[in-house]
Amino acid sequence: MKFSVRLAALGFIFTGLFAVLGLRLWFVQVAEGAEIAESAQELAWQTRYFEAPRGDIFDRTGELVVTSRYVPAIEVNRMFIKPGQRADLIQRLSSVTGIPAPEIDAMYEAAGINGRFVVGVVSIDTAFELATRLADYPGVELIKVPERVYLAGLDLAHVVGHLGLPTDSDLEGNPDLDPTVRIGQLGVEKVYDEFLRGTPGRFEFRAARGEIIEVGPETEPEPGDSVYLALDLSLQEVVTRALLDGIDLANEAKAVQRARGETVFSEATRGAALVLDATTGQVLSLVSHPTFDPQAFVSGLDQETFDRLRESRAFNNLAVSGLYPPASTFKAITYTAAEQFRLPFPSDEAGVDPANRRVHCNGRMVLSLTDGSQQVKHDWYTGDKGWLDIHSALEQSCNIYFWSVGLGVWRNRASLEPNILQNFAADLGYGARTGIDLTGEASGTIPTPELFEEWKEFQLANPHVPPRLEPSRLELPGGPFLGGDLMDLAIGQGALTATPLQVAVSYAALVNGGRVLQPAVVAEIHNAGGEVIYRHEPTVSRTVEIDPAVRSSLLSDLGRVVTQGTARAAFTTFGPGLSEIGGKTGTGQTTRSRDNHAWFVGVAPLSNPRFIVVVLIEEGGSGGQVAAPVARHILQYLMGNEPTPIVQGEEAD
Amino acid sequence: MATAARAEREAVRDRRPNRPDWVTFSTMVLLALFGLLMIYSATRATGAVSMERQMIFVAAGVVVYLLSSMIDYRDYRHLTPYFYAIVLVLLVAVFFFPERQGARRWIDLPFFDLQPAELAKVVVVLAIASILAPHSRDDDTPGVSWSKVGLVLATVAIPSTLIFRQPDLGTMLVFIFVMMAMLFAGGATWRQLTTLTVAGLGTAYFLYRADRIAEYQLNRIRVLVDPTIDPQGIGYNLSQSKLAIGSGQMFGRGLFQGTQTNFRYVPEQETDFIFTAVAEQLGFVGGLVVLVAFMILIWRTLAVAGAARDRFGALIAVGVAATLMFHVFINIGMTMGITPVTGLPLPFLSLGGSSFLTLAFALGIVNSIWLRRSPVPGETYVV
Repeated sequence: MKFSVRLAALGFIFTGLFAVLGLRLWFVQVAEGAEIAESAQELAWQTRYFEAPRGDIFDRTGELVVTSRYVPAIEVNRMFIKPGQRADLIQRLSSVTGIPAPEIDAMYEAAGINGRFVVGVVSIDTAFELATRLADYPGVELIKVPERVYLAGLDLAHVVGHLGLPTDSDLEGNPDLDPTVRIGQLGVEKVYDEFLRGTPGRFEFRAARGEIIEVGPETEPEPGDSVYLALDLSLQEVVTRALLDGIDLANEAKAVQRARGETVFSEATRGAALVLDATTGQVLSLVSHPTFDPQAFVSGLDQETFDRLRESRAFNNLAVSGLYPPASTFKAITYTAAEQFRLPFPSDEAGVDPANRRVHCNGRMVLSLTDGSQQVKHDWYTGDKGWLDIHSALEQSCNIYFWSVGLGVWRNRASLEPNILQNFAADLGYGARTGIDLTGEASGTIPTPELFEEWKEFQLANPHVPPRLEPSRLELPGGPFLGGDLMDLAIGQGALTATPLQVAVSYAALVNGGRVLQPAVVAEIHNAGGEVIYRHEPTVSRTVEIDPAVRSSLLSDLGRVVTQGTARAAFTTFGPGLSEIGGKTGTGQTTRSRDNHAWFVGVAPLSNPRFIVVVLIEEGGSGGQVAAPVARHILQYLMGNEPTPIVQGEEAD
Repeated sequence: MATAARAEREAVRDRRPNRPDWVTFSTMVLLALFGLLMIYSATRATGAVSMERQMIFVAAGVVVYLLSSMIDYRDYRHLTPYFYAIVLVLLVAVFFFPERQGARRWIDLPFFDLQPAELAKVVVVLAIASILAPHSRDDDTPGVSWSKVGLVLATVAIPSTLIFRQPDLGTMLVFIFVMMAMLFAGGATWRQLTTLTVAGLGTAYFLYRADRIAEYQLNRIRVLVDPTIDPQGIGYNLSQSKLAIGSGQMFGRGLFQGTQTNFRYVPEQETDFIFTAVAEQLGFVGGLVVLVAFMILIWRTLAVAGAARDRFGALIAVGVAATLMFHVFINIGMTMGITPVTGLPLPFLSLGGSSFLTLAFALGIVNSIWLRRSPVPGETYVV
């Protein structure tokens, strides 16, 4: 090859290299230039946010229950750290804060390129010590961060809730959320998060290669609004203690039962109690047990503790999310419907006097079924209470009486409004969420032929899902809903489930003239300037017509429950003013392998009802024996009596 | 006989003095002046760089160019061994001077800091050319003997090893590229070139396996594939540089208007990353003008190689062209993320004295070759 050819070959190769450069330049500047220019613009300014202190939470009397304070914290800004400094820095931060180095390393990684993260809150002493040596820590800043302080501790946990870092789904719907700032994850903290959150302060700057080269305007964070609860902290403490005593009482009773050789399935560990203002719908107290410490979410909750709490259902607010058969407490609803609509009794049933609306409460009811056979249903008591009218039947919680009401409706269903009893319950708020300003509310179930038909279809279509209806029902010609289901509904059993809050709301409607109120735990919200920006007004979801005569007869019969009925023993120590107190016991049956749930619903004062007290002790046993004394204790406090110790009442339905 | 005599007569009649290569000279000076403007634009915000100093370097460069144009390049041939020895001494001397930014490349002199590696670039070109060029009129063996290949390899290997230890991987790669280009032009066979390539790759693999290549050097190659590696260091340089160039678009953001340049988002913008300042402020058009200027320089240098009166001059010109080509390709390619970050300056534009003076000297030698070509158009010499 001649020299000139070789030279030409070199020229050819060099031209090729220039072509590569020219094409790349075209690609970067012209083909993709506009896009790159845009991202260069975005890079120019950066914004630094300062977390705002969340608003305070007060109880209805103005007592501070949740607040925020500033604490020193260590922040690391990766922008100012050179690659070689990383490992050493993390090691030293670990020894200062006591946080394991791998954890800090994980935070470092998660913060991303040029990202920032708070390593942790430190003590004042550590902060001072570190402040003097800050020059040795590249990219480390001492900052103040707001920290949540829960002054009421465990007592208000289910109402105020707790904070947590936003989840992926939180962030998805809200681009303004800072993924490193905790938001409300439960209760008032979550529902009123937008009020409590405040406005973060911001500081804009341009930085390059680890140096700030230009700064923009800076704004201070604005604290969030203050929330005033409808709850009264002192009452809350009384209710909390009463409920815990009630659970202890239930377990004492179980010990006695065991000693007598009776079957006891489990200890009582859970319960809920609440006080509702029947005139406004405000929740004056709301307790669920077991509970948790919201402060633990601030200092950091380890997975083990979290799992244990979750397993014990400590995060479930049983007052709004726990579903139980309302049992005999529901007899007040059946009572009102039976009286108001003059529901017919079965005409040819032994032990039922349809003309005088009396039923023979002798402990067992013999039913003649359509196929000519007979079925015997046993009441909760033994012996003969005689022929009772509806007033005595409520006072004595006679199941046979209310079964008869259910049977009468079933037998006469052709001439009655369809689902008359269920519709009345639905009007009073059963089967639907009350709309309380708390998280996790459940809606419950009202059994109807239509619902059973739906269940049947679902069951046939999905044979592998655990069935809700017994297989024998699927083949019945008249559909899966039977007269027995309506009889069970009449005594608050069967497929009927409700939350303690729904029970409270329904009683409030029965005694306040038919107003079904939307319950609320927050009474007022004040902005940072102290101005009232929200004040709770009673919200009526629905008005149910209640015959005033029926209402007053119900109130007086509820009064008879505590003076001579199933709760008489529990209320003997009530003290003055017992005549102003009414209530209804309930003992909810679930499955054959679980103990009964103990219920009591109290109403006071009877002359002008204001307080509805609901007590539920899960698997607590007899309502009259266990739940009624707890409610009595709370009612004593509410009515200004000295609350007396919680001791066993009578073992009654 | 008659025709030959007539041809000789005509040649004598057409003979006229050679003129200097004004195209190369003016392109070089324009690039240098343009470089001054770019350095100013990239550093005016901080004022950390003395423009006067760089202007003195440019003026000195012009003087060096003119002086070396006047010296007959053929005189260098017997001086090359001495030059080579001096450069080796200087390359060893750098290890006795304090370390800067993790490297020992500089010899502190009163006015400026000498980088012997820059000087070595020219001397190695001279040395290879003097080995490959025939030593007498009788020496007309075609191609390159294996012993010459070995000698060239040794000539390059000694300074390369010293420079690799500074460490300065970029300059070592310049030597390898220039050596291959000159061997090819000098008539090496494909077999010789293939053998060298395989041996070179083998050595690189050995160095890699023996952990003789630092992690940061490997990262400079890895980052081309995955820019998220080392985001605070080399990855940062690259992404910022690409942002700056991209935001220039077709016509640029205007002189002194580039935000990336003004705010110095791109590090080392007055030295290795000077091209980003050009591309952001003057856009694709400005960048293309710079590329065309370098094309002219390299094209002229290759043309000188074609016109040289002897093989020694031709090979020097090829070596200088290859040196320029490699710097331009690696440097500009680096700013756009297609070649590794090696720390090679952009000829005549980047801030710095040693590089500028060395390249002016090299182009001066090329001009000297041009001036001393055959005065008769189209006439070539055997040797």
